[in-house]
Amino acid sequence: MTKEAMTPDETTTENDTVLEIEDFSVDYGWGDSAVRAVNNVTLSVRRSRVLGVAGESGSGKSTLVYAVTRLLRSPGVIAGGRARLTFDDPSSGDAKRRTVDLLAASASELRSIRWSQVSIVLQSALNALNPVLRIGHEFDEVLKTHRREMTKAQRRARAAELLELVGLNEDRLARFPHELSGGQRQRIMIALALALDPQLVIMDEPTTALDVVTQREIVNELAQLRARFGFSMIFITHDLSLLVELADDIAVMYAGNVVEWAPASDLYNTPRHPYTLGLLNSSPPLSGERRELVGIAGSPPDLSQPLSGCSFHARCPFAMERCASEVPVLRELDESGRKVACWLHETPATVPGALRRRVPAVAVEDPSSESTKEVAS
Amino acid sequence: MSDAQLEARHLSRHFVVRTGHGLVRPKKVVRAVDDVSLSLHARRVTAVVGESGSGKSVLARMLARIVTPTSGELVLDGVTIPPNTPRSLAYTSEVQLVLQDPFASINPVHAIRHSLERPLAIHGTPKAEIEERASAALARVSLEPPERYLSRYPHELSGGQLQRVSIARALCVNPKVLLADEPISMLDVSVRLGVLNLLRGLCDNEQLAILYITHDIASARYIADETIVMYAGQVVERSEGTALIDAPSHPYTQLLISSVPDPSDPLRQAPEIEDRTGQGQFPTEGCRFAPRCPHAMEVCRTTAPPLIEVASGHESRCWLYEDVAKVAITTRGQGGTISTT
Repeated sequence: MTKEAMTPDETTTENDTVLEIEDFSVDYGWGDSAVRAVNNVTLSVRRSRVLGVAGESGSGKSTLVYAVTRLLRSPGVIAGGRARLTFDDPSSGDAKRRTVDLLAASASELRSIRWSQVSIVLQSALNALNPVLRIGHEFDEVLKTHRREMTKAQRRARAAELLELVGLNEDRLARFPHELSGGQRQRIMIALALALDPQLVIMDEPTTALDVVTQREIVNELAQLRARFGFSMIFITHDLSLLVELADDIAVMYAGNVVEWAPASDLYNTPRHPYTLGLLNSSPPLSGERRELVGIAGSPPDLSQPLSGCSFHARCPFAMERCASEVPVLRELDESGRKVACWLHETPATVPGALRRRVPAVAVEDPSSESTKEVAS
Repeated sequence: MSDAQLEARHLSRHFVVRTGHGLVRPKKVVRAVDDVSLSLHARRVTAVVGESGSGKSVLARMLARIVTPTSGELVLDGVTIPPNTPRSLAYTSEVQLVLQDPFASINPVHAIRHSLERPLAIHGTPKAEIEERASAALARVSLEPPERYLSRYPHELSGGQLQRVSIARALCVNPKVLLADEPISMLDVSVRLGVLNLLRGLCDNEQLAILYITHDIASARYIADETIVMYAGQVVERSEGTALIDAPSHPYTQLLISSVPDPSDPLRQAPEIEDRTGQGQFPTEGCRFAPRCPHAMEVCRTTAPPLIEVASGHESRCWLYEDVAKVAITTRGQGGTISTT
């Protein structure tokens, strides 16, 4: 690939979607033993934007992206839904947009899309890199497969160029993964993901195993790379405060459901779902007065047991009678197109004060101080 | 303040590694922990903050006497532990360790009952009392009713519950010192606070001395009575309470704090990131942080700095404070940098 091809696309400022996921469900197992890991998820990623997906382990956030990109292995089964990828087709010449139904795509079609249009950075860079191959080999293999016209020298030059992008010296190409630090390995993964200039990069907890200083460096670097190449990104993490800084929109997942989907700053300043509020209250702040926080009582549900009603109702401080029996659907709130799946917002009377905030406020009210009865009446 | 329950005096642990290729590989000494002193007091949580490789886990293992120190001594309840003696039951009944990963530290093929009763049996609890004490330990970590948990297997419990079991296992021999090595880092965000509040409660209500090891400086701020920051095996900053988090003096602490995502503080400056090509290789001379330090001076590269008092109960291992009067310390609110005036 030449340098010209790497300049940002003129059309990147358009507000259209790259990936559209509709009513998407994923099961693990079949028949009666099936466990619903992702339940009727609808999400979209806008061009050149970052969608953050936040959730705890077992919330289905990784399963969702693996299923959408058709990387999910058995016993994972896509139980329903649609996923469409829209990208600029380089083969059609005049930069025409092409939409591919990812669930209907053939193996060869998927092969042409993967890495060149959608690439993934996996959580554990140590496990994702082959321990017996030198770093240079990984780059060589990708380019050899997808860019057949490139000569060996060109491939080598491109690999060096990619390493430079992520702030690593060319000499790392001759190293083995175990010779590099965690941060360097994660940078290599990012460089590999960008090797074919994809339009969508999926980051599955790329910084979770790293120290906070290294995480900061990588996040800063990602911001620079995005500004330069304009790719869209899905960033998966359990660290909501990291997403608030990084993402344009955030979807919060709980037990396989998207419970809230909103612009990042709105979600942080004015959370509308009790789980989002609880998550925000679960991280002790670095500044301000030191006082006791409560977090969220209980633990995440066991998905192999049948759930009734809202998946969060057992831990929700505001739960009403109906929450235990009826499943809330993700629907739009009045303002700014943000979406929430919560019965409390059905009528204004049931919205507790903590979920009604308008002005950005740092102080967070204690949800446990309001009794459930008051809220329900 | 009461006397220390457990005191570490000038504790060091050096590992010898072979580097390079070939038959004759030169020896290299990794100073994993270098001259660390600390004391743990009843009703106090001492937090040790550091990134991976800073030596904080080796320190915890030395305090638990799993790793033998290269030099230095341990003083338990005023009595110096003779070096090079095996770890005794008397010691482990006073000092207990809680590990990071509850899924890996509790035997998956036995019911919870086994994990709790085994230490009691080893420590010579009469058979008649064992079950009662195991139940009492579960109650102390708010796993109630205990009968419901005793017969369960680890895979039936969530991470948060398992970590509570792990804490109960440490508590059932009634130790005076609890060493918690990253007890919340493997847990889901929503249950972390529960475990932190539990530790705080144990400390306040049961006179425990707790060492809380973490890489999450915000959680240290939440729980600590004394805070210690480690870098490359050394204590680089320590303070009473959380003074070093609210007003960090050492450039490394400043870097650490400014790296934490904190959306509540949008005016914060982005941290100055130094080139880290020499990462993992700490200099053998001078300050170990000097290669990454934005304020490094000539003296930093030649002579290792001592811990210097920068405020009452607040020490920093940095030459910038050699003469505190000459240095204007600006705190986080003003950009988190140090300027020499």
